[in-house]
Amino acid sequence: MDNLIATGLIGISLGSQYALLALGFTLIFGILGVVNFAHGGFYVMGGYVAYYCSVVLGLPFPVAVLAATLATAALGWLFEMIILERVIEDHQATLMVTMGFYLVMATAILLLFGPESPEFSFPITGVWRAGGAYVPYANMVVIGVCLAAIVFVYWLIYRSGIGRAMRAMAEDRAVASALGMRTRALFPFAFALATGLAGLTGALVTPILALAPHVGDPVLAFSFLTVILGGLGSVAGATVAAFIVGMVEAYAAVYLGGSKGALALFVLVLLILVVRPQGLLGREVRRA
Amino acid sequence: MALRAQRAAIGALLASVTFCDAGSACELKIGAPAVLSGPAAQWGIALRGALEFVAKETVQERRLVIGGTPCTVSVKAIDSKYTAEGAASAMNALAADGITVIVGPVGSPEVTGMKPVALRNRMVAMVNSFARDSIGPRWPNVFHIGPGPSGWAGPIIDEGRKHYDFSSVGIVAPNDQGGTDVAGVNADIFKKKGVGVVEEYYQRGTTNFAPIVTRVLRSNPGAIDLASSPAGDAGIIIKQLRQAGFAGPIFRLGGPGFEEIARVAGGIEVLKDFLWYEPVAMDESLRALEKKHQDLMGAPRPENADFFRWVFAARMMVKAAQAAQSIDKPQAIADAMRKLPVEDENIGKGYWIGQQFFGINQEMSYPFAIGQVRGGKVQDYIHAAAVKEN
Repeated sequence: MDNLIATGLIGISLGSQYALLALGFTLIFGILGVVNFAHGGFYVMGGYVAYYCSVVLGLPFPVAVLAATLATAALGWLFEMIILERVIEDHQATLMVTMGFYLVMATAILLLFGPESPEFSFPITGVWRAGGAYVPYANMVVIGVCLAAIVFVYWLIYRSGIGRAMRAMAEDRAVASALGMRTRALFPFAFALATGLAGLTGALVTPILALAPHVGDPVLAFSFLTVILGGLGSVAGATVAAFIVGMVEAYAAVYLGGSKGALALFVLVLLILVVRPQGLLGREVRRA
Repeated sequence: MALRAQRAAIGALLASVTFCDAGSACELKIGAPAVLSGPAAQWGIALRGALEFVAKETVQERRLVIGGTPCTVSVKAIDSKYTAEGAASAMNALAADGITVIVGPVGSPEVTGMKPVALRNRMVAMVNSFARDSIGPRWPNVFHIGPGPSGWAGPIIDEGRKHYDFSSVGIVAPNDQGGTDVAGVNADIFKKKGVGVVEEYYQRGTTNFAPIVTRVLRSNPGAIDLASSPAGDAGIIIKQLRQAGFAGPIFRLGGPGFEEIARVAGGIEVLKDFLWYEPVAMDESLRALEKKHQDLMGAPRPENADFFRWVFAARMMVKAAQAAQSIDKPQAIADAMRKLPVEDENIGKGYWIGQQFFGINQEMSYPFAIGQVRGGKVQDYIHAAAVKEN
């Protein structure tokens, strides 16, 4: 029983990390129609900015996390404005541009910080225990931030004027522009919001796991998996899917083993997509 | 007449250029498929660093003189990405450049991928890898920079049992050849020593090991062995094992990388009780080698202690080329290598082993060291003698 509960808690921790990443990934697709292959790069960058601020500059960890969020958001804004905006209508070009940007980011980080992992630990190190179940306090912080981020993104997209404008542009960019919505300002804003979320996740999660220039690769793979399962572009779908993936990963790995567990996760996702090709909460056609 | 004289002059000029070039063209080209990206990059960087050092040392100290001509040594390292296909691709690129002398790669998947290319192109190679078939009669010109886990796991387990009481061990490793081969060898040795074994494998690329840790701890092992899990992975696993409440000793019978493991885990105190294979125990002779690297290269040696093993391996290859009086006849270099004694100026004497485990006597066995953290404090390395076959 203890194992069952402990595994569930691990699943929630995993799910919250995936949700933070998937939210940004799905926002970019939902609003801009772009599959952002550079998402893992922003995660890594967030980790390194937080590391630099907290370990090298000695700033308090929350300030470092804020700096990482702002830095990745700023870079995302610039990237959208200067590069992505020029090819935004060409889906293949956006794939190539974001993939290329990821390689540039990864190489730049490798050159600046080297290939080895620096010592970068979460400032809170304790573990909450009850019987055989346990949750590290650091994971609780991530879960809390994840919940706050979900609430914030929902409020922004569904309850604010900016969100309404972004959803209108996602529906039909030409009509939304004709009605006076400022595409040139809102697209970079949406992109910056998403990359800021990736940076925030990197700043919070890399000190719990590990920080290295390559840690964005699996992050991209899991974000993609989660978002496809939830339905490309669906914020609610990405959130639900993130926790499903986290739970399935945890229970499958604990009760089936590392190899069979990974297989079980992918088989489950495949089956869901056979039944619902548009994902759990996705729509069948996307017009923008 | 003037035209003929002009042609003759040009011909003479070209011939002199050709001869001059031939005179200085004694260059031993060493190719290295080396993992230079991803979590195992630290190992490939040590390999590349060692080769560049030996190349410079050879030239500066005129260690390779063929037919009275001092030779230069150049190194071409290509990222083999710790995969079989990456190593095969790197080897094909090296073969296309006419390189037939290979030092590297590091990991089992890479060695699996590179050996057919080495065989096809008649290359001589000095490889690492802890796989069960790293070398063998099928690849007569492939040598091994051992000892591998079959050699050193036993002494390290014995050292651990002196300090800790455990009757079972959980072995955690990646689920590819780089993990399963070493984990299998370690499991056999633990069992021979009367320790119960549970093996658990994870998908390479896993970033969060909390579920794997929970699964392993369900069998309530007295100790954990991380086998050949990459240093970055090993650091996370140890951190999560300690968070889960595991208090027993942790072995890493799969290669060096202690510094990175400690950094990722969050410090020495998190490791608590930890034993690992260390290629060398630092002494005056090896410190002199470190200083020589600093003087020659203008920078400290690569962090990973596998650097030393690769230095011994590269020097052995240069010695073999010298003995064979050839820079481009891999068969002659391999034949010469077999006749050379296993000995290096900085580590001392060793043995050729491998007949019993691999079926071919082409593994270099040098003395090694056992690293220990006990009660959160790093202990002095224990010197272990070179493993010898009967």
